[in-house]
Amino acid sequence: MNIIVGVSDMKVSKDPDGVLVTYSLGSCIGIAVFDPVAKAGGLLHYLLPESSLDSTKAAANPFMFADTGIPRLFKSVYELGGIKNRMRVVMVGGSQVLDQKGFFNIGKRNEMAARKLFHRNNVVIDFADTGGNGNRTIRLAVKDGKCWLKGSGEGERLI
Amino acid sequence: MMDIQRIIKSIAGLKPIPHVVNKIMAITRDPDSSMAQLSQVISYDAMTTANLLKAANSAYYGCTKKFDAIHQAIVFLGMDEVVDLVLLTSSAENLKRSQKGYGLTAGDLWRYSAASALLARKLADQKNIADVHLVFTAALLKDIGKVVLEQYVADGYEQIKAMVSKGNCSFQEAEKAVLGIDHAELGALVARVWQFSPMMIDIIGNHHCPGQAVVAKAQTAIVHASDVLCLMMGLNGGLDGLSYRFDQDTIESLGMTDVDLQTIITGFAEELQKVEELIS
Repeated sequence: MNIIVGVSDMKVSKDPDGVLVTYSLGSCIGIAVFDPVAKAGGLLHYLLPESSLDSTKAAANPFMFADTGIPRLFKSVYELGGIKNRMRVVMVGGSQVLDQKGFFNIGKRNEMAARKLFHRNNVVIDFADTGGNGNRTIRLAVKDGKCWLKGSGEGERLI
Repeated sequence: MMDIQRIIKSIAGLKPIPHVVNKIMAITRDPDSSMAQLSQVISYDAMTTANLLKAANSAYYGCTKKFDAIHQAIVFLGMDEVVDLVLLTSSAENLKRSQKGYGLTAGDLWRYSAASALLARKLADQKNIADVHLVFTAALLKDIGKVVLEQYVADGYEQIKAMVSKGNCSFQEAEKAVLGIDHAELGALVARVWQFSPMMIDIIGNHHCPGQAVVAKAQTAIVHASDVLCLMMGLNGGLDGLSYRFDQDTIESLGMTDVDLQTIITGFAEELQKVEELIS
């Protein structure tokens, strides 16, 4: 059963029949985490790097931003029995339109926001596929933590 | 390179744009036009009437009362909104088809175009750009060239893909190199055949390179901004993805900073669900 994660959204699950999926990551980032012992997983689809842009919107929906969404993702999986150092972490997305440079390169800034947060909290990224000019779709099977990635004009592959 | 004339001849395969569109565009250009005239034009067109009522009753407008007569809907929505809704629903027939050459299933291009038009209208309002209906319609139809070009893109896809994946070549530039014409250029030709205004032709033809716009510079800039924002939000599910150019000078000429872009994204992302309801 597909559990769809929308834009600025997060879902966690322990349902072995559940498949967390998020479509059409452009400059947005998708982060999938899975604890193989607790057999619990979560998927976040955030839009932008920093909640300081709009604290009211961040309070209403923390999943819109990296710095408010990622901590919530981890905490929600901990609540299902997940433990940080057991979790597999996958990060995909952060594409850019050609010639998007500097501060205007929101895809890159989205990626850097996650990397900075992970570094500060000793989280190792097990797999990352970021940047470029394509859209991505990611699926995470809750029963075994397998992830599949599909890019624009490509077939789906196990990651 | 393919035979460009053959590609151009394929424009004839498009469904003709409903007469009601040109009539409505004329009404918007006439400062003396009235709601009664608009109502009359729409009520003569059964399909448009049905589509307009469906859209007016959608959750997008959040009105609990259901409309069953066109004049009620017009009074509730106001003239500007009705004009855009008619344009939106009239373009659906061509845009709703699947565009296999671009990896788009039925409805994908339509959803992208409608979202981009709604965002363009919002940006035009914010920036006080003249002729919001023109901006809306141009944003809606800017990819009409894809509907014609898709079969040729399918034939040349391997070459196009190779060029794009080498980097620093946009999908549009690869179309031009491989097929001899790109979807924006072809879209401008369609606009000409449909007897749209020179401004509309300018916007459609230059929406990926707004610096080259001649008669509708500000409007083309808005349509470009809306397009790149929709690309960034991942709304184009096609195999061309985000492989288009971001014209920073144009974005800055609109007085937009990176913070503005992000603020627009947060606002529009919250509306996307409602947009889906409007166009479903």
